[in-house]
Amino acid sequence: MSDVIAKDDLLRLVDQWLAEGKRVLGPVKAGDGVILYAPLAASSQLVLEGFVHAANSIKEAVFPRSETIYTYKFNGHEIELSDVDPDSTQCIVIGARPCDAASLPVLDHLFNWDYKDKFYNARRAATTVVTVACSEYDDNCFCTSVGLGPAAEQGSDAMLLKAPDGWYEVRAVTDKGTALFNGKTTPAPEIKVPISDGPAKKFDTVDIETFLKNNYESDAWRDITMRCLGCGACAYNCPTCHCFDIVDEGDAAGGRRVKNWDSCQFGQFTVHASGHNPRAVQAQRQRQRIQHKFRIYPEKFGAILCTGCGTCTRNCPVSLGVLNTLEAIAAVARGSIEVK
Amino acid sequence: MSDATGFEPKIVAYVCNWCTYLGADLAGTNRLEYPPNVRIVRLPCTGRIDFNLLIKTFEMGADAVIVSGCHPGDCHYTAGNYHARRRWTMFRELLDTLGFEMDRIHFAWISAAEGKKFQQFITETTEKTRALGPYTAYREICEASR
Amino acid sequence: MIDQLRQTCRKLLEEGAVKVVIGYGQDKPSMMPHPVFITKPEECDRLVWNDLCFANLAAYITRKEIKALGKPAVIVKGCDERALVVLEQESQFTRDGIYVIGVACTSLPASGVGNPRAAKCASCAVRTPRYADVTIGEAAVGSSAVGSSSCSTADAEFAQLDEFMKKTPAERFAYWKAELSRCVKCYACREVCPMCYCNRCIVDKNRPTAIDTSATIKGNLAWHIARAFHQAGRCVGCDECTRACPAGINLRLLNQSLAKSVERAFAYKAGMDKETPPVIGSYSLEDKENFIQ
Repeated sequence: MSDVIAKDDLLRLVDQWLAEGKRVLGPVKAGDGVILYAPLAASSQLVLEGFVHAANSIKEAVFPRSETIYTYKFNGHEIELSDVDPDSTQCIVIGARPCDAASLPVLDHLFNWDYKDKFYNARRAATTVVTVACSEYDDNCFCTSVGLGPAAEQGSDAMLLKAPDGWYEVRAVTDKGTALFNGKTTPAPEIKVPISDGPAKKFDTVDIETFLKNNYESDAWRDITMRCLGCGACAYNCPTCHCFDIVDEGDAAGGRRVKNWDSCQFGQFTVHASGHNPRAVQAQRQRQRIQHKFRIYPEKFGAILCTGCGTCTRNCPVSLGVLNTLEAIAAVARGSIEVK
Repeated sequence: MSDATGFEPKIVAYVCNWCTYLGADLAGTNRLEYPPNVRIVRLPCTGRIDFNLLIKTFEMGADAVIVSGCHPGDCHYTAGNYHARRRWTMFRELLDTLGFEMDRIHFAWISAAEGKKFQQFITETTEKTRALGPYTAYREICEASR
Repeated sequence: MIDQLRQTCRKLLEEGAVKVVIGYGQDKPSMMPHPVFITKPEECDRLVWNDLCFANLAAYITRKEIKALGKPAVIVKGCDERALVVLEQESQFTRDGIYVIGVACTSLPASGVGNPRAAKCASCAVRTPRYADVTIGEAAVGSSAVGSSSCSTADAEFAQLDEFMKKTPAERFAYWKAELSRCVKCYACREVCPMCYCNRCIVDKNRPTAIDTSATIKGNLAWHIARAFHQAGRCVGCDECTRACPAGINLRLLNQSLAKSVERAFAYKAGMDKETPPVIGSYSLEDKENFIQ
C-alpha cells in the first residue's frame, strides 16, 4: 500500500505552508548555480532533483549560524539583562537528503546531555523534516559506510521517493510526518518505488575506531592532513558538527550575547588566555575532528558523528574531508601506505 | 535646525591632530558657528585612520562620515596623508562596487589656519546629508542583524 | 611534460637541494588534484599536472607546518607565481630559501559554467612563469585574451566588473546583501589566500572587536570589506577565494574592483614586477584624486 502525491500538489502544499506563516527550508539555486538549503520565499525556488547533495546542511533549522541568547543594557552602573525567547516558529524542511535528516537524532544527544539547550530543543520540536530518498550518488557519498543508506529513515518525519510521471511516493515515518501529509496524498497500491543500493561501502567504522584508539600520536596524522589549510568549510557545512562560540556584541549602550558556529579547524579555536595552544599545528586539529566523529562521540553517546553525506569533501578546497582522510587512514591501517 | 520630519543627521568626522583638529579649534576661537550634528574624533594622522572605523561608524548609525587632515606637503609625519590619499582612492572604489551611498563619505584637506573652511565644510556636509535623509539602507542591515 | 616535472623534482630531492616538493597529486581519479608534499625522491611519481590543478600552492610557503619541513620547491603556474612575487616583496621568504618550479599553462581550460579557472584564464597575461628557477612546458599559443577578438586584455579582464557597475548603487547594494547573506564565515576565502598570512586575523581579534564575528549580514559585510581591502594592491587575482567559497559568493568581483582602481589610478598590477614598490606601502607626490575637497 503506497500513498502518492503529484509534484504540482507538493509544490502547492509548500506554498500553503508558507501562507500559514511557517518557515520552509529547502534546496535552492543560489548565486552561481550552487545548491544550498535556504529559507524559501515561494515553492518555485525549490530544487528537488538533479543534484546529489546541497553544499551545506539542514542543521540551520535547529542550530542557526548565529543565535542571540540574551540581550543586555547598561543603565548607569546597573546592567539590565533580558531573556530571549527560543524561536519556536513552525519549520518544515523539504527536500533534505536522508543523510541530512539522520544528523538530527545524533545532535539530540549533545544538546540534551549535561545541559538541555532550550534554543535547540524549541527549534527541534517545531521542525518537521521531509526527506527525498536518494536516487543518485557521487564518489564522495559514503552513507553506507556509516550504517545509513539512500532511504535511511533516521531523523525523517516523512520521506518522498521519486516515482515515474511526476509522482512522489510519500512514506510517513513519524506522527509529525503523518499529520503533515494527512489528506494530501492519494492511495496508489500499484506504485512501489525501488530503493537504490547506494554507494559501495568504503571503509569499516570498527577498523577506523580501532585505529583511532591505538594511533593517537601516529605520524599518519601529519602526513595525511599536511595539505589542510585550516578553514571551516568542512565543519560549517557538516550536518553533525556542532561546536559554537559565545561572544558579546554591542556598544556602550548595550548589546547581545550570541552563540555562533565555530570550528575545531581554526587555529584560534583552542588558544588559552595564557597564549598557550594545546592544538598548535593543523594535524592535531584534523586529528581532533576525526577522533571526535569516529571515537569520542561514539564512546560517549553511542552514535557516530558523521552521516556520510560527503559535503566536507565536496567543499574542501584541497580535496580532504572525512572520506579522503578515512580512506587514507584505512590504507595506513592495512599497511599499504608507509608512515614517514 | 531640523526639517519637517525632525531628522537630524548624525555625522562623525575623523580628523588629524595637527591640522584639521586645529582648524576646528580655530573655528571655535573665532566664534564661527557650525551645525552641532558633527561628532569629532581626533586621531594622530589621516594615515592612522583605519577603514574599519568608517564601517563601524555606519554600523553605529552615522548618516555620513568625514575624513580630514593636513594638505599634501603639510603632514606632521611627512607622508601620512599621502598614504591616506592612496588608501582612500582604492577604498572608495570598493565601497562604490558594494553599492554604498558615496555622497555620505567625505574627504577634505583642512589646515590649522582654515577655521573658515572647516566651518563651511561642516555646514555643507550637514546640509547635504540632511537632504539625503537617514542612511536607511545601512540601518536596515544593522536592524536585520540584531 | 609530467615526466620532466617528476624528473626535475626527483633530482632536487636526490641532490638534497630541497627537502620537500610542494606540488599536485591525485590520490584517486575521482578526486580533484590536490596539494601534495613530496619528501622522498621515489615518491615523485605521485605528482600530476593537468588543467584542473587549481590550488595556488604559494599559500603553503608561509605556513609553519610546511616551513618545519625544510627548504621547499614549489610548483607554480604563472598566476600563482605573482603571489610569490608579492610575498617576497613583503619579506615573507627569501628567494634563495625556496626553489621555484614554474609550469607553463600548455592547455587552456574549457570555459563555461563550473570551471572556476575560466574567468581568470581568459584574460591571463602570465601563462609562463617569469621568475622561476626552472620552467617546464611551453605556454599555449595565442595565450592572452582568449575568446575576445576586439577588446584588449585589460578590458577583458574587467569585463564582468564593468558590466556589474552598470547597475545603480542601490541595485549593487541589494546584490551584495543577497550574496553576503549566504556567508557562514567559514573563512575558506581567507585560508586559501596566499596573501592572508597574518598570525591573527583582524576578525579574530576581540580586544576590541573591530568586526562582528556573527555571520549576520552586518558582520558579513564588514568582514568582506576587510578581507577585500586588506588585499588592495596585493591580490594577484588567482581567484582561489572564489573557488573555495562553499556558498558560491562572487568574491572575484570585489577583488577586481580594487585591482582595477589600483591599475587605473597608480598603473600598478600586483605581483607583475618585483622591482616596482608595492602600491600600498609607497606613495607619489603626483598621485591624482578627485574626491578630496
